[in-house]
Order: sequence, then C-alpha cells, then structure tokens
Amino acid sequence: MIDSKELIVSGTDVGTECVKVVVVDRAHKILGRAVVPTRGYFQDCIQEATGVALEEAQLPATALKAMCVTGFGASCAPVASLTVSETACHARGAFEHFRRPMTVVDIGGRDPKVIDVDAAGRTRSVHSVRKCAVGIGTFLMFAARHLDVHPTRLMDLAATAEKPARVGSYCSIFAEVEVIDLLKSGVGAGEIALGCMHSIAERILEMGGLKDPVVVTGGVCEYFPGVLGALAERSGFAVELAPEPIMSGAVGAAHFALDSVSQAR
Amino acid sequence: MAAENRKTTSAGARLQSSERLKEVMAAHFAAILEAQRAKTAPVAWCTSVGPVELLRALGFEVYFPENHGAMLGASRIANEVMSQAHARGYSPEICSYLTSDIGAHLAGKTPLAKYGFTDVPKADVLLFNTNQCREVRDWFEFYGREWNVPVVGVTSFRGLDEVAAHHVDAVVRQLEALIPTLESVAATKLSAGRLEAAVRLSKECSDLWRDCLHTAATRPAAITFFDSTIQMGPAVVLRGTAAACDYYRVLKEELEARVAAHRGAVDAEAFRLYWDGMPVWGKLRELATLFASLRVSVVASTYCNSWVFDALDPNAPLASMARASLELFIARAERPKQRYLERMAQEFQVDGFVFHDARTCPHNSNTRFGMPQRLAAATRLPVLTLDGDLNDLRCYSEEQARTNIEGFVEQLEDRGPL
Repeated sequence: MIDSKELIVSGTDVGTECVKVVVVDRAHKILGRAVVPTRGYFQDCIQEATGVALEEAQLPATALKAMCVTGFGASCAPVASLTVSETACHARGAFEHFRRPMTVVDIGGRDPKVIDVDAAGRTRSVHSVRKCAVGIGTFLMFAARHLDVHPTRLMDLAATAEKPARVGSYCSIFAEVEVIDLLKSGVGAGEIALGCMHSIAERILEMGGLKDPVVVTGGVCEYFPGVLGALAERSGFAVELAPEPIMSGAVGAAHFALDSVSQAR
Repeated sequence: MAAENRKTTSAGARLQSSERLKEVMAAHFAAILEAQRAKTAPVAWCTSVGPVELLRALGFEVYFPENHGAMLGASRIANEVMSQAHARGYSPEICSYLTSDIGAHLAGKTPLAKYGFTDVPKADVLLFNTNQCREVRDWFEFYGREWNVPVVGVTSFRGLDEVAAHHVDAVVRQLEALIPTLESVAATKLSAGRLEAAVRLSKECSDLWRDCLHTAATRPAAITFFDSTIQMGPAVVLRGTAAACDYYRVLKEELEARVAAHRGAVDAEAFRLYWDGMPVWGKLRELATLFASLRVSVVASTYCNSWVFDALDPNAPLASMARASLELFIARAERPKQRYLERMAQEFQVDGFVFHDARTCPHNSNTRFGMPQRLAAATRLPVLTLDGDLNDLRCYSEEQARTNIEGFVEQLEDRGPL
C-alpha cells in the first residue's frame, strides 16, 4: 500500500473515443491506469476513469496533489489543478521516454497532429489536419461496422491483405462512402481494411512537417498498428511507436502535474 | 514547459472612438438611402479596392458590397441565407461574401435593416476591379442582370513580381475607358479638379489609417487586428471623403494617447502575432477574447493594411490610382508577398504568424503554395495555420481552432533560442 502522504499526481487525457488516466508518483512510476470508452457526458467518464486508476493504485482521491487534464474534453473535467494542450502533453509523453529530437505524430480519435520536438523537449511547430479529414477513430469504427468485424479485429483483417485498396484521404465522409463503394465492387475486406490504414497514413503525410525520426502516440496505433506500417512505408522514415501509445497524452499530463507541484514548493 | 491554467479576460480594452465610428457609418448609409429614395445622387457599387475616386468626383453615393458581406458574416445571417445562392448555381466553394450577399438579397434579409434598408441599395452602375479576384465581377454581374444596369470595371493584372510602367499604363487606359459610361450614368462631366480632390482625400485617409495601424508597432500594442477590422470601416466605405479623414484623426489621437500612456489593447501583453488572411467574421469576438485571455496581441495583419495606398498622388490621379491598385499585396506574386510579411514582422516585432486559410477565398489565403514554410525558415518565427472561412462557418471548427491556438501559445512560451 502506498503512503497517501507521498507526492502522487494524475494525468488525464479526455479524448473523443476514450478517457485515459494515469496515477504516478514523484519518480514518474505509474501506480494506476485506466482507459474508459467515451460515451455520454465527459464528466462521468472522467470520474469513472479516475476512480479505476486510483483503485489500481490503491489510493483515495484525496491522495492526489495535482491533477493535470488534457484532450478534447479537458474543459469538462470537474476538478483539475491544471489544463495543458494535447500537443504539449503528447510531446512531453514521448520525450520523457525517448529523450531526443523527433517528430511526434499523435493519432487519436479526432484530429491528428504532427509535432516537431527539439532536443530539449520543446515543441517547435505543430501541424494539424484540415477540418474535413478529422474523425480518424470514427472513420475506423465505421469501416469495421461495414466490413462486419469488431473494431479490434480490423487489424487482423488488414493483415490478411497483400496490398491496400485505394481509399481516399481528403475527407472522412468521402472515405466512408468509398469503403461502401469498394464493398459493392467486390473488393476483398482485408484489402479495404488495409486501405483504411493507408488512408490515415496519407492524411498524416498531407499535413506536412514530418521529419525523421518519427514517434507515433495516440490510441489509433495502439489498436491499429497497420497505420504505423503504412506511415513508414509511405514516408520512408523510421517510425517507432511510443510505449503504450494510447497513454502518451495522459503520461505527459502527469509530468506537467508533477512540475506544477515541484514549482509550487 | 507550459503549466498554468489560463484565465479568460475580455476581448481587450474598448476604444472610445467607437461611438463616433457608429455615427460615421450610420451617416454613410443614411446618405445612400437618401440618394436612393429622393434621387438626390446616383448610386454606384464599387469593389472595396476599386477606383472609387472616379465615382466621388462624379458625385455618386458609393456602396461597397464587401462591407455588406462582412456584416452578413459578423451578424451570422450569412449562414442562414447563402444556401439560396447555392441553389441558383453559385457553388459553396466560391467566395462566401458573394454567396451570402446574393443569398441575403434573395431571402430579403440584411443587417442594413438597422439603417432603414429592406434590401441592398439598388445601383445605377456597378464598378469593379479584378485586382483582388474574379469573383467580384461575377458578383456584380448578378446584380447587373437583376437590375438591368451597366457593370463596368478594370480587368487587372495579378501575381505581379514588380509593378512596371506597362502594367500601370494598361490600367490607366482601362480607367479612361470607364469615364464615358460613368459620366453618362451621373449625367455630368468628370472634372479634373474634383478627381484630384478625391485622390487627395483618399491619400490622406490612407496615411491616417496607416498611422492608426502603426500604433500597434509599439509595446504594448495600442490596437489589435480584431479592433482594426471594425475600425477600418471608413477606410473602406468612405475613402475619398473628408468624413473618413476626420474620423481617423479622432482615432489616431486616442491611439497615440494609449501609446503615450503605455496602455495596451490587451492586458499584460506577453506575445505579439501577425495575422495573414481574412477575418473569420462570425467568430471575431470569440477569437479576440481567446487571444486576449492568452495575453496575445494580434498586432498587425495583411488584411487591414490592404487599405493603405502609398502610391496615391493627387498630381497624377489616374496613374497613381492604377499603380496603387497594382501594388496591393493581394495582386502580387509570392516573392514580394514574402518580403512584405518579413518587413511587417520586423516592424511590428512579432513573435509568430497566424495564417487563416479561408476555404472560399483562395486569393486571400497565402497558405497553399508553401508560404508559411518559407516564411518560418526565413524569419525563424513559428507559424500557425487555421482552417476556416470569412463567412461560411461550416468550414470552421471552433474546438480545433481553440486547441491549435492554445497549443501555439504554449509553443511560444516554451520557445528557447533557435
């Protein structure tokens, strides 16, 4: 059992597909974590995920000295001592592990980001996707439904294909319509699934700003590593996955929470 | 690393001159309404950077539909009405000033209602200059057909590296060719003296407006881009009149007093940004408030400086009008555009650039041919691109813009030596 007088903080990433929470100690050790699907009100999901992470850490909520929140629904967090942008949190989450200059590509449920991180871990530039190409998570869920597999099986399906079907990257809705057109034309489900991964990789490339080496964070590649392969294949760069990529934003947020407590002291 | 909650403050300090501005704009619209009702003067439509001095010299009351477009955007009537223009074959991909203005006309809605109008004022002639885009001509031709009145104008050069004498000559000849039609509609002859006077007043207005904008070059900036988009009204619709000059003397005095008192438009200004591209009219207040809450002054813009016409010269009216219309940023090639942006960055001591990629205004969006990347490399300043539109809010994501702006400001806070 951890002493609740220890310096314990949490990092929360409130995404459109999942709410992620980590509870960490002063040595940045993760004591508890939770990933809860986003549904209904963000506030309820944040509360649920925080409860699960604290339960795993065997700590009461009162043990948290700081709570840093990031992500799309960050403003909905009922109690937060700190709010930091997604870009800063993903960059920090990746940098604390790799400790080198890199391009961090955050591919989450909504809008991906290409973040140029320097040798000191500072963000140098951020590129975002245009409005009509957002909704990566929703697009993959749509594809899974029409390919008649559970979303967690979409990757297995893609792995059966030798080459991807052509699925456009310009607009998420156009791409969804193309998935249905491809099915109607009798194209193999595996090829379509792999084509969806390539569609996402192309959206990333179209954003600009990609430089070697590339580190991918965010939930999409946690569940759909085919996107990582497609990105490496299409960019020609070395593309690595951050450890537990879905948690990168929450881990980065936890680092900011620790900073804030240290600075306050 | 950035690590603090940001408190929302107001959109910035309010300018006292704004009350006078309302009166000036109301008088402008009242004069057009009166001319239309009582036939006291012919009414002309003119594009915002068109050859208005010819119209002033001939006694026209002049109406600027882009001003109406901006009002439709700011009042958010645009998104209620533009589908009526789409339904008549004007694509959602073209200028949303055009589609919202024509849509508003078809729907019988206008923010000019507060000035007594039930529709846009009917023109006796419509005068365009395509130096900014081809859409203005298409826009005016819709009304030309609607009202069976002449549509005349200048088909200008675009994408110029340097403005050469032969470019100026070609525009002068077109301006000269417009005169008989305009004289015929006005039922009077163009007087050289009146044209010189109009150009003199336009130049004076331009100089005063530039002085006002330049008060943002000091730290803290006395005026922001968001204020300037409102304050520029007289520079657009009253260029070539004494009323515009009178107003900018008042505004200049207030802004210079702010500079003398070291009083900024944004409380505790921490960062200074340059805005390139059109305003997002329907989100002007939200963006002003967001930037102010982040202690960011958007100190200068290509857009508001588009009504600074250095070349105007009353001693050479037509030639200087032609040159001024060709030297405009929007009419230039990428190299002079970049040089201009670099110079403005230095002059206004900016910490970064925000480019607005307006979906339906490619001519005012300088993001599509690698400019942000080249500018960042040349100035070593960070650049943020926001997707959006001048009037069509379907092209704008408030959440995406907010997170991108907040992330960009964190980036500025973290910025070490390059």
